[in-house]
Amino acid sequence: MRALNKKVYPAGWQVATVGFFLFYMLVPIISTYVFSVATRWDRTILPEGYTLEFYKRAFEASYFTTTLRNSLVLSLATVLVSLLIIVPTVYWVHTRLGRAKPLLDILMILPFGIPTVVLALALVQVYNFAPLARSPFLLIGAVVVYSMPFMYRPVSNAIQAIDVHVLTEAGQSLGANVFQVLAKIIIPNILPGLLSGSLLVFATVFAEYTLTSLIVGARFKTFPLLLVEFTRINGNVAAAFSVISFTIAWLVSLLILWVGSKGQTEKVESIQAR
Amino acid sequence: MAYLELKNVNKSFGGVAAVHDFSLDIEKGSLVSFLGPSGCGKTTTLRMIAGFEQLDSGTILLDGNDIVPVPPNRRDIGMVFQAYALFPNMTVRENIAFGLRMKKTPKEDVEKRVDSVLDMVRLQDTGKRFPHQLSGGQQQRIALARALAVQPRVLLLDEPLSALDAEVRVVLRGEIRRIQSELAITTVYVTHDQEEALSISDKVVVMNKGLIEQVGTPEEIYRAPNTRFVATFIGTANQFPGQTSEKNKVICVNVELLTGSLKEFNAGQSVVVLVRPETIQVQVERPQQENCNIIPGVVETITFHGAVTRLGVNINGQRVVADITVANTQPVSLNQKLWLTFPPEACQVMAAEE
Repeated sequence: MRALNKKVYPAGWQVATVGFFLFYMLVPIISTYVFSVATRWDRTILPEGYTLEFYKRAFEASYFTTTLRNSLVLSLATVLVSLLIIVPTVYWVHTRLGRAKPLLDILMILPFGIPTVVLALALVQVYNFAPLARSPFLLIGAVVVYSMPFMYRPVSNAIQAIDVHVLTEAGQSLGANVFQVLAKIIIPNILPGLLSGSLLVFATVFAEYTLTSLIVGARFKTFPLLLVEFTRINGNVAAAFSVISFTIAWLVSLLILWVGSKGQTEKVESIQAR
Repeated sequence: MAYLELKNVNKSFGGVAAVHDFSLDIEKGSLVSFLGPSGCGKTTTLRMIAGFEQLDSGTILLDGNDIVPVPPNRRDIGMVFQAYALFPNMTVRENIAFGLRMKKTPKEDVEKRVDSVLDMVRLQDTGKRFPHQLSGGQQQRIALARALAVQPRVLLLDEPLSALDAEVRVVLRGEIRRIQSELAITTVYVTHDQEEALSISDKVVVMNKGLIEQVGTPEEIYRAPNTRFVATFIGTANQFPGQTSEKNKVICVNVELLTGSLKEFNAGQSVVVLVRPETIQVQVERPQQENCNIIPGVVETITFHGAVTRLGVNINGQRVVADITVANTQPVSLNQKLWLTFPPEACQVMAAEE
């Protein structure tokens, strides 16, 4: 009994591990934030002064709104296309084509194995005709492939967690066709998976540089392109762009989570209870 | 003409026959059970009626119409699953209303109908709950209510009670039978539990290895099994292999048995005599009875089952089980010598299978 009453302190190595993790993760982000408001920061430990001047310049940059809009369009379109491809495919493989699942699992690792530079150059060569050539459509297609694993994993896990066969058959025996089963039964029950997949894809694509730069370049300038451009002109403004980019990605993430959790609390619980 | 007719239905999976030449007529309003061990094809047959499995050959007629080409969602056949299969994202009411919504039933009618089936399964106050907030038995009642809400032409139940506790099982099977008779809905019930099948069915279809072994009322199945499989699968039966001889006698390995008429067998044919444990009486003194099987034996095991006590008795090296009720027998002890008696009518003789 005495052992139970004794307050448990984390061991020194535990504190050290967690501390190192936080340090490793947070220092770059914090320094970016600080750098974006620092007047001069090369002779002292902390900046010599603070200013919002760089934000003003960032917001006044000629391409600011356009690139921001392009990035949002690209990310949202990718999330949408990805959902439309992945959800029916995973559902179909799980209900009708169980044998194809290992194959699909392997296919979904492939995008990680192909360097984006190779992917971009190959796509540019293959789709070298109008209206696809070097167009935003080709870019969307490319980033859908590139970000597919991030959508596939959560969706596949979510479908695996529910009894998709029996739920489908129950729906059918009550008169629902495949689309109704998918829309009214399967999707609501895998919504947490869809949301986390969408989040990952959105965040990945919002920060995507290589594919965008090589496939469309200046024709469809996105936020990361503008950011990289500014690193060559003024590091502080680039830092301000980074901060804006972070903030937008976080806001959108929160928005997606909020939309998803609205009225979903019960449902998520019920899935976990299974 | 029967309401639901299966004609020469065949189905195999990867070359292995799951259902072989299955033909059956099911009368309107009756409850028919498919009973058999796992892998006997009962669930496959049910799933073919539901439309979830395609037939290799044969037809299924519902009310005279071939339903084989009809997709499952247009067959108007309700189904209750072993795993309940309630939609976790919907409340009880939403679950029950689902089928009605798919049929585009007007809203007021949906509400009325949901109330009435909730009433039927006696779970009026659970409407706003989610499935995970209900017990297994309650979930299965809701699943039943959901299947019945759309007033299907046929109700299919696929081992609906297998996931439940023994006590809930007994209550719920009574409820299923009550509701089924009240609605007079044609029902097919799949189970591997013989007691369940015997207690609720109008007719029992005993299946084994994809084949129908016997179709009959529960009484017929129990009292007059057609095959050795049925006799041993339903209830318990002592088996005495032997050869027929003159005048209603079977010479078995360990014993000679008086049986009923053996006209349908040739003299010297290999047969098996089956004797149910509850038809055997136990006496301490050798009884003075004519025309009765009287066999001495030694008690080897005594198992108390509540209403009856089951004795394992060794007769010339063969173990025979006999059920005795404590009320009308003297106390029995282990290694006691006693006499087993049973009338010739208790012996069911069937040809030995190769």
